[in-house]
Amino acid sequence: MIEPIEIRFEVACSPEHAFDTWANRTSMWWPRSHSMSSAPGLVVIFESHPGGRIFERTPQGVEHDWGEVLAWERPRRLAYLWHLGTDRDRATEVEISFIGAGDATAVTIVHRGWERLGPDGPAWRERNVHGWSGLLPQYERAVSA
Amino acid sequence: MPLHALPGDPFDALGDPNRRAIVELLAAGHRSVSELARELPISRPAVSRHLRLLKEAGLVADRAEGTRRLYRLDDEGIAAVREYVEQVWGEVAARFRLVAENTREPRGQDRS
Repeated sequence: MIEPIEIRFEVACSPEHAFDTWANRTSMWWPRSHSMSSAPGLVVIFESHPGGRIFERTPQGVEHDWGEVLAWERPRRLAYLWHLGTDRDRATEVEISFIGAGDATAVTIVHRGWERLGPDGPAWRERNVHGWSGLLPQYERAVSA
Repeated sequence: MPLHALPGDPFDALGDPNRRAIVELLAAGHRSVSELARELPISRPAVSRHLRLLKEAGLVADRAEGTRRLYRLDDEGIAAVREYVEQVWGEVAARFRLVAENTREPRGQDRS
């Protein structure tokens, strides 16, 4: 297994507001550079149920899928498959928890599943060495930015 | 491992399908240039050129063994790639936080 990427921080708002900002008002803050089209005015949409699509839509109506909702447990937990910039079958998994702590909310993002992405050859899959290809989605995003 | 500490860019290095193929072959074990060239649809000099780029990007390391030079994967490049991923998440998190902390919770919102 390749160690998940884990990011923790606090936000000065309620878990509900944090969850809604993340999943329902994503377009307000998501860096446009981290999208397929980089189109000005693009919107980012999370459909609010397991199995829901995560996608960007340009003002011209072009849509690009980024992932699929696995868990929508407002306000505590959100989990989704994530394949922005790569094929659906190379999806990694993002899980975010929003836990109230006094007036603030502790946000923990765990991005895992890197080892899942061994490329096509079964031989490579067996090796389980570094899971290089797991990082290729990030690379592809980097070069298209 | 900051990206600028490497002479080459691991993202550029991984941008070529032949170089990705080399990385995948090396993931299976140490190999020489001629062994790699046998398994790829490119010439030996081309393999050498790709290996040089991969080495500069910290993705591949080499050592001499007798008369042969053996190549293997190196951790430095992957650390750089990983750091990039963390940096992207850091930017996402910072932007999210700015908006979450500076917008109001809409009234009468469904709290289900």
